[in-house]
Amino acid sequence: MSANPTNGPGGITRRNFLTTVGAGAIGAAVSENALAAGKEVAPPQVTPAGRSVEVALRVNGRTHVVQAETRWTLLHVLREVIGLTGAKPGCERGECGACTVLIDGIPRYACLTLAVEVQGHDVTTLEGLMDGEKLGTVQAAFVEADAFQCGYCTPGQVMAVEGLLRANPNPSVEEIRRGVSGNLCRCGAYQHIFKAAHRAAELKAGK
Amino acid sequence: MADESKDIYYVEGTPIPETPLPGKEPPPWRETSVVGKALPRVDAYERVSGSAAYPSDVHLPNMLHGAILRCPHPHARIRRIDASAAAKLPGVRMIISGNTPEADLIWKKDPVGDMRLFEPICRFEGDVVAAVAAETPYQAWDAAHAISVDYEVLPFVADERQALKPGVPVVHPKGNVSKTDRYERGDIAQGFAAADVVLEESYRTECELHTPLEPHGCVANWDGRSLTIWESSQGVYAVQSRVAEVLKLPLARVRVIGHYMGGGFGSKLEPGKYTIIAALMAKLSGRPVRLFLTREETYLCVGNRPPTNMTVKAGVKRDGTLTALEFSVLGTGGAYTAGGTSLADWLARDLYTCPNVRTISTDVFINAGPARAFRAPGHPQGAWALEQMMDTLAEAIGMDPVQLRLKNIPSVSQAREGNPPYTSTAFKECLELGAAAFGWEKARGEARAQRASRHIRRGVGMAGGLWFAGGGRPPSTVVVKLFPDGSANLNMGASDLGTGTKTVMAMVIAEELGIKPEAVQIECADTGTTQYATPSGGSKTVPTEAPAVRNAAVQVKQKLLEMAAEALKVDAAELVYRGRDIASRQDSSKRIAVKDLEALKRQGIVVGIGYRGPNPKNMTTHPFAAQFCEVEVNMLTGELKILRFLAAQDSGRVMNRLTYGNQVIGGITMGIGLAATEQRILDTGRTGKMVNRNWHDYKLPTALDVPVDVTVLPVEPVDTAANNTGAKGLGEPATIPTAAAIANAVYHATGLRITCTPIHPQQLVQRLADRPKEG
Amino acid sequence: MLPSFDYIRPKSVQAAITHLATGSAQAHAGGTDLMGCLRERIFPVGKVVSLSGLPELRGVSETADGGLRIGALTALSALSEHPIVIKRFGGLAQAAGEVGSPQLRNQGTLGGNICQKPRCWYYRTDFTCLRKGGGTCFAVDGENQFHCIFGGGGTCFIVHPSDTAPALVALNATARLAGPRGSRDVPLEKFFVLPEVDVQRETVLARGEIVTEIRIPPPVSGTRSSYRKVRARRSWDFALAGVAMALRFDRKRVIDGRVVLSGAAPIPWRSKEVEQIVRGKELTVDVIAAAAKAVTSGAEPLEKNGYKLALFQGMIEEELTLMAASA
Repeated sequence: MSANPTNGPGGITRRNFLTTVGAGAIGAAVSENALAAGKEVAPPQVTPAGRSVEVALRVNGRTHVVQAETRWTLLHVLREVIGLTGAKPGCERGECGACTVLIDGIPRYACLTLAVEVQGHDVTTLEGLMDGEKLGTVQAAFVEADAFQCGYCTPGQVMAVEGLLRANPNPSVEEIRRGVSGNLCRCGAYQHIFKAAHRAAELKAGK
Repeated sequence: MADESKDIYYVEGTPIPETPLPGKEPPPWRETSVVGKALPRVDAYERVSGSAAYPSDVHLPNMLHGAILRCPHPHARIRRIDASAAAKLPGVRMIISGNTPEADLIWKKDPVGDMRLFEPICRFEGDVVAAVAAETPYQAWDAAHAISVDYEVLPFVADERQALKPGVPVVHPKGNVSKTDRYERGDIAQGFAAADVVLEESYRTECELHTPLEPHGCVANWDGRSLTIWESSQGVYAVQSRVAEVLKLPLARVRVIGHYMGGGFGSKLEPGKYTIIAALMAKLSGRPVRLFLTREETYLCVGNRPPTNMTVKAGVKRDGTLTALEFSVLGTGGAYTAGGTSLADWLARDLYTCPNVRTISTDVFINAGPARAFRAPGHPQGAWALEQMMDTLAEAIGMDPVQLRLKNIPSVSQAREGNPPYTSTAFKECLELGAAAFGWEKARGEARAQRASRHIRRGVGMAGGLWFAGGGRPPSTVVVKLFPDGSANLNMGASDLGTGTKTVMAMVIAEELGIKPEAVQIECADTGTTQYATPSGGSKTVPTEAPAVRNAAVQVKQKLLEMAAEALKVDAAELVYRGRDIASRQDSSKRIAVKDLEALKRQGIVVGIGYRGPNPKNMTTHPFAAQFCEVEVNMLTGELKILRFLAAQDSGRVMNRLTYGNQVIGGITMGIGLAATEQRILDTGRTGKMVNRNWHDYKLPTALDVPVDVTVLPVEPVDTAANNTGAKGLGEPATIPTAAAIANAVYHATGLRITCTPIHPQQLVQRLADRPKEG
Repeated sequence: MLPSFDYIRPKSVQAAITHLATGSAQAHAGGTDLMGCLRERIFPVGKVVSLSGLPELRGVSETADGGLRIGALTALSALSEHPIVIKRFGGLAQAAGEVGSPQLRNQGTLGGNICQKPRCWYYRTDFTCLRKGGGTCFAVDGENQFHCIFGGGGTCFIVHPSDTAPALVALNATARLAGPRGSRDVPLEKFFVLPEVDVQRETVLARGEIVTEIRIPPPVSGTRSSYRKVRARRSWDFALAGVAMALRFDRKRVIDGRVVLSGAAPIPWRSKEVEQIVRGKELTVDVIAAAAKAVTSGAEPLEKNGYKLALFQGMIEEELTLMAASA
């Protein structure tokens, strides 16, 4: 698995000159100690409730060492501690898919995953599909197919498609539908999502 | 990066609409060169890259996290709140409740009396009881759970069908009737007497929840005496006015920002109590507060499409002429006045030519969360009843359902005073072209031929609709700024809910100014920096904002022409704006590049202000739709599979073919939810509580519940009267006929008339089992 | 938001067992079900014992006798996509592939799937019901459209939510359990507990005990297995009604086999009535009709789940017809 997956040939880049008011800098608790992937950090002794532990998370190819309560989910740590807000909270109970990230290349719900459980694994978020300011292939295909409306479920949809295509580079329409059947889109843009997934497969195959 | 000394953002060779004389509105477009194309969104990059900051992504320094403790009973009096244990928990910085003097505020005026922010009597499960702000959201919830409340649990009514029975508990002292509306035209008795066939049937739609993917909520921050709120909202000015009213602040000191938002569907047209609570806790703690609802909370207290119980009695002649329609509906807006039956009768009143119509709407109170507008309020429900009745009538007189509808197409709005004509209606073309493109007759015939064999049966159905609004209206003010290089800013107060508003507006500016759409930067939805707009809803955003944007762009051109007239020393009327330059019509040697205009150099930019002009008098503007579908029913298990859909939509001019198609497939998806999967379930008997307040138990359609094969067929009437763009609303009409079309297809497949939503296996398999065995 | 809890990730099964044997500890396998239970605060959890440090509990392998050994921590997607499982234990592959959503299958484990808590909405939200130690069942005269038609025993009317459990019972699987007093093997059929036996437990697991692996005996030649699930939406939903079959055929005749229902009872429910009717017979239209009718004999529907009678009958008719066609 590559930490920086292939990028779309379209090379869509940031269009607006003005930036939006938004997420401020977070990450007070973040440091960047290089840690060998796979190294076990959590000690095999009991961490008492309410106590924070040092958790090393490898996200988009970089290791972040954070202080986290053991009850904090991966979604919470990504968004509130590391400051990656691509993965969205929609339900925080594994029922919408807006928080979908790849763990070791496989789509999972970040809201149902404790951060401490992800140590030693590779996490890829929406931000990790970017190459600098260039969109990744699946993201570019979503733009081309207009595969979203409000865009809030989109990070999860993109990651579900990314995970699908890594496992199955040439999916049928039925496989695509099944592949994104763990991601709700209340705006209902499903048919455009199917088209985007198909288009992304083509782009990845160099078509 | 652009070299700002050049004028690279103008487009060569595309025709640019004529510029009207100053003070004149531009005539409607004929041909367009940018508007109508299938262009990707101007904010697509932000939305797919993760760089778009939604309100729930906003993280301010020193920010606290809020949580709300809500009443677990549908009806209870709060005797005592004890937050002493909660206050001692780690990280807790603020707890407010009805005991907090600063929180003693009127939240909303209601005909039944003022609603307080913290009501001493909770009339629905999920009304607020107390709120906490803490260092982390986890700590906030720990504290909310640690607050002890002593409730006197009161008797409740949770089923609107029981609300008017004698002896039933009352929600408000004045009784359980919220409102009764009547409408009548012609002579209903005479109408039924003139009919060859009179049929009557009752229908019910279940309560639906909006559940947009981004939960409701906001971040609130005080800067001295000024309050800034980042709210997930459909209308920042609507949030501003309510917050200012409740907190008794000058409007100018309340800034509401909503650049992005994760879906609303009507439920975010107004702020919530959470908005006030966040602002209050931020004020009292002196720190910013983020307060977003949990998914479970969004099921209880931020609106719904209320349940309806409808009866339709209809008379028709053998030739298909409708002679009488009688429609009644019983519904509920929940525990407060919230339009529980609003517009449910509108289609009965207005969709088909019928001289004799009577409707009666009874709206009652129950102990459940108040309704809010939900994508085409009342209409999908009304269509569920009326469009199934049309199907039944057609069968009774041996007429094709499409033909019966074609027989009764009105050109005027009969339900409105003075019967104003529509500025345009292509309902007829939606039916005809839609049926042809779908292959209606062939599909109907083949589905029938397939019967008798396997246990999987096919059916084909259709339904029509119109939307009560959709023409747009004043007020709206926008500002367009053109730079010498041909790039432009649009300043617009409206929110883009994901419908593609921003992209459409960029295309309007590109069309008028001859510049690249991607050279338009848009600042929107910020009461501090953008102009006034009403909330985005009711399918009125494009027909409201696009004409104003066009007017602003036209004013830019008028100013440029004046500048050029001064420079070239000719009359402005002689000049034509060509994008990059301005030239004389008579003498092509008289020309000047926009970037070379001295007057422009002096001021740096040209500013155009556009207002939404009034709608035409004595006419009315509405979108129309006809949808066709094919389904399969498993006769052994009651499973329904929707195979394909075709939507023929008249929403006037197509502004962007790509986002147009997206809106329509979204409407169909939502209609599939109403038809087949969605239903709020209250434990009406014992506790009155909602039992399916999550996305597992309350079922939205998934990727596997929608057909792959969906065709969107825009039908574009030339509408020169509605507004200067010819566009009508699209979002709501796309979902109005969907559920009824599915029900009609299920009837065609099975011979079973399913009058209650949702058509899920639970209902369908039972109905299949109950039917008399086929011989 | 999750409440706080003590947390440990032991390095050995023995250590995990020791930690699970004390206090209100809960095992964390994939966590998909546990997170929901924690969020809703359904039961107090003092300590979460993570099993993710136990790689030996993962993986699918063939045993010497041609049977199958599945580590309890094997992800459902790994199971449903495993070539041997697909080829020789098709019903289990189908069942694992019908669970939840792709992401839940990537995270959820086989052990967790058979040990998951009920989905009764009264149990899952803020109702203090019998199973949570309260004094009353809210479903019996409440919103019981998704509840059981068999095995409620007048106390608690949950259905067992697992898709894989009925498939495993049909395939005559055995669970290996490890606990403070050593390990033991329990046939899956005996693994689940009816409410009349203990209304607060779903399985026979004793305190401190975990499932370490599932073993399936080699399928006798001529055996075909399948799983069919009917639900209210096509993804991400539990069974309204489901059936796992493992039938052994001699040409067109059924020699024997098991028929196990999901969505029917508080445990995976063997329909011995259907098994008895098809045993020794060719699946003719008449035999299938008799079997379909028999599947609901003895059923006790509640006020709002009467549709399950027609649904189970229709589903059995459809599934046996399919079986007959492939025989």
